[in-house]
Amino acid sequence: MSIAVPTGGAVAAPPPPEPEPVPVNYLNNGYSIWSWLFTVDHKRIGLLYLVSISVFFALGGLFAALVRTNLLSPTGAILSEDAYNRAFTAHGVLMLFFFLIPAVPGVFGNFFIPMMIGAKDLAFPKLNLASWYVFMVGAMCAAWAVLVGGIDTGWTLYPPYSSRASQAAVVPGVLGAFISGFSSIMTGLNIMVTVHKMRAPGMTWGRLPLFVWALYATSLIQLLATPVVAITLVLLMAERMMGIGIFDPSIGGDPVLFQHLFWFYSHPAVYIMILPGMGVVSEILTCFSRKNIFGYSAVAWSSAGIAVVGFLLWAHHMFVAGISFYAAMLFSLLSMLVAVPSAIKMFNWTATLYRGSITFHAPMLLSIGFLVLFTIGGLTGLFLATLGTDIHLHDTYFVVAHFHFVMVGGMVLAYMAAVHFWWPKMTGRMYSDFWSRLSAVIIIVGFFFTFIPQFVAGYYGMPRRYPNYPAELQWLNVMSTAGSSVLGLGYLMPAIYLPLSFFTGKRATANPWSATGLEWQTPSPPHVHNFDTTPVVVCGPYEYSLGVDQQGRTLPPPPNETNAEPDAQKEANGG
Amino acid sequence: MANAHASPVLKHHFEDLGQQHACERLGMWMFLATEILFFGGLFAAYTIYRMLYPHEFEIASSFMDRKIATVNTVFLITSSLTMTLAIRCAKLGDRAGLIRNLILTVALGTAFMVMKGFEYAHEFHENLAPGKLFRAEYAKATESVAKLSPAAAAEYFKADAASAHPAHAHWAAELALKNKAGADEVVDSGKVQMFLCFYFVMTGIHGIHIIVGLGCILWLVYEAATGGIPPENYSTVEVVSLYWHLVDAIWLFLMPLLYLAGAGMGH
Amino acid sequence: MSDPHNTTPTADDPHGVRKDLDGTGLLLVVFVAVLGLALANVGISMKMGPTKYTLVVQMAIATVQAGLVAYYFMHLRHGDKVVILTALSSLFWMGILFVLFMADYLTRFWVVG
Repeated sequence: MSIAVPTGGAVAAPPPPEPEPVPVNYLNNGYSIWSWLFTVDHKRIGLLYLVSISVFFALGGLFAALVRTNLLSPTGAILSEDAYNRAFTAHGVLMLFFFLIPAVPGVFGNFFIPMMIGAKDLAFPKLNLASWYVFMVGAMCAAWAVLVGGIDTGWTLYPPYSSRASQAAVVPGVLGAFISGFSSIMTGLNIMVTVHKMRAPGMTWGRLPLFVWALYATSLIQLLATPVVAITLVLLMAERMMGIGIFDPSIGGDPVLFQHLFWFYSHPAVYIMILPGMGVVSEILTCFSRKNIFGYSAVAWSSAGIAVVGFLLWAHHMFVAGISFYAAMLFSLLSMLVAVPSAIKMFNWTATLYRGSITFHAPMLLSIGFLVLFTIGGLTGLFLATLGTDIHLHDTYFVVAHFHFVMVGGMVLAYMAAVHFWWPKMTGRMYSDFWSRLSAVIIIVGFFFTFIPQFVAGYYGMPRRYPNYPAELQWLNVMSTAGSSVLGLGYLMPAIYLPLSFFTGKRATANPWSATGLEWQTPSPPHVHNFDTTPVVVCGPYEYSLGVDQQGRTLPPPPNETNAEPDAQKEANGG
Repeated sequence: MANAHASPVLKHHFEDLGQQHACERLGMWMFLATEILFFGGLFAAYTIYRMLYPHEFEIASSFMDRKIATVNTVFLITSSLTMTLAIRCAKLGDRAGLIRNLILTVALGTAFMVMKGFEYAHEFHENLAPGKLFRAEYAKATESVAKLSPAAAAEYFKADAASAHPAHAHWAAELALKNKAGADEVVDSGKVQMFLCFYFVMTGIHGIHIIVGLGCILWLVYEAATGGIPPENYSTVEVVSLYWHLVDAIWLFLMPLLYLAGAGMGH
Repeated sequence: MSDPHNTTPTADDPHGVRKDLDGTGLLLVVFVAVLGLALANVGISMKMGPTKYTLVVQMAIATVQAGLVAYYFMHLRHGDKVVILTALSSLFWMGILFVLFMADYLTRFWVVG
């Protein structure tokens, strides 16, 4: 199959006519509850994930609010010590296993990977549906654990506390994490097979959107790391219920071995959470700066690099747990290494923005927020990878602030950016430009106020997971709690204007952002089988300088500030 | 991609059967990769404890029933052969042969599980299981050799080594005698239990995999009997066989690690 | 997209699935080899008893057996590149698990200085 790549001199095909809104799209193709619960359409499954993880995000946020409110007073404002333990554990378990890990792969991976590579569906549609059900079963187990009193071990579940001492509902909680792990494996497997075997003609690896590369790298980690934590959790449950004590010191077991096995998954798991975010911002930064990505292959391969190097550095969580000095030195060095691919991405994104025609729509604002916050989160990670400083900072609020910068500042912002970027495609409606920008700004400002004080408190030695702290640190904690209420407000706003837009929003065109990817070549919302005819890809994913999409056709005019302004004004005045 | 001949087994989202088969095979292999790492975590933990407590692991392993394990190995390897022959029959459109081979596989797998069941029953009968049972049995044995002098205890092992057919002492008695004899190394009964933990977890999880595999193969029998596996759908048989072979291959490692670690130690 | 499993129907192969058909003879030879190695493993272990090298010998035999099963029974010999890569990557990641675990446990009791 010979494919002509348009070069500077060649004339691109004319812009595609705005596709007629199809009478039957994936949303109105059946309204019954069964048409959703038994669907094998990857787009509907993506929406099932969207709804369920939004619920878990709200619940996790609620527990975060409890924790922050309790920390208003140095002696604990509202919760007993035991309830505090249960609250932060519930926050951690919900946010990590039931929001961050499935967020982008479950929603946007399922929805957009087939569309981006020009396929009709994922390779295994039934497995895809099964993954959602398995996820929900896992979530039910976690809910069961919360309802019977919660877990008080922290999300890391270290034995021997979790296996012997804890009086809380450890087993249902562990079972929930174990089961939801299978869902994660199913999603990852599906995405990997799809990317390998289902690409449209002309869609070579070098023409895949960077979002696909990032999700591919994520899936690799899901596939190879999750089973290790699965067996670890099985061993933990066996120890707690049957006295089969692999980690039991009384029969020669080593509890640090649990930490090794646990972090063999859970450290790469932070890359399961952040890599998809990196893919999202690669799409958005190019689109809203109207520029080709700078260093395509560097960004693509650094995703793969992070996926592999991310497996080699788990023990930096265990520097003070009693591992060997020499191993600690090795792991410290390897931890520094992962900064290299992350920095490569950072520099390439910055270079992409350089001299671009940037417009500040909500997705772009959130992505720029990602760049700033992820950089701070990444650089403070180096403090923790350094053996000497880690002794001082280990298990303090410095660590909490560091990983919230990466996870919330990085990943949640990227997730919100993805929601705003692809919302018109998923629902066929535009949301309010003004409110979305406002919420983006509020989220970023609230975020700084929440977590910058935690760096300071941590540096002064305030330990994490303690309900009490010295009174001198109260002003920092009050500031952090105040910031978190602003942050919460920022999160609540999309929860209102996005659902509203679904009913009252302006109808979206097929390609409202004038983006290049194949997913924008179908009507909004897409039809049931995505494409009328299998698309033929003729060029790379970000040909903004040529102004052509991946099928070599001219792009519609981009939305710009002058077009958006009157809308925003009108709504600001009206609302 | 020209041969998009409409076949009833071609699913709507694939271009052709070649793509469908390749996807199924790759998907199963990726699942097997997760299985390998699932057991890999166990193998890694086993390796570390075996490295730390080699002596106890060997002694504990010598209490295992090598006869049953050897017979079970033969069963599993044979079932792998019949499973592969089933793919061949499926490709050739030999439905009777396919069903025959699948049923043979199920029979061999069931035989494995039955033997395994006898083995577990025997071990529980002897209280050779970590936790309360083990501790009680061992305490009883220690008490019964308490009055023995170390020299008399050592005498037992000397006599044992000299005879061509070593006596099969009860495991607890032997452990107690060993410790009483004050040989070069004291056997820590806790670490013997650690081996037993690995034994039960590894064989237990492996057994669950066998049962899942048997379920899948029975489903294949049903499909084949109702005409659901025409030659162009042979890959259904193949993906199940991939899983079955992996479970077989894992047993090939479990066998030496659990049963042969203490082989040739007088049992 | 190059697809090594493209099914091209021919006269004596109406469904295009017989290209990689296993010969019964080959399967039997592999079966006998794997079985023989299993019995050899038991025999050698009984004879050697627990020495320093027993585990090495046992693992070597088991690895050869698993290799035979993977190559012939699991059709890695007909596998396309990505299937082989998947199989190898699972081993590579297991290698990471073992090597870095050992990096801790083997050096944990070294005396500093």
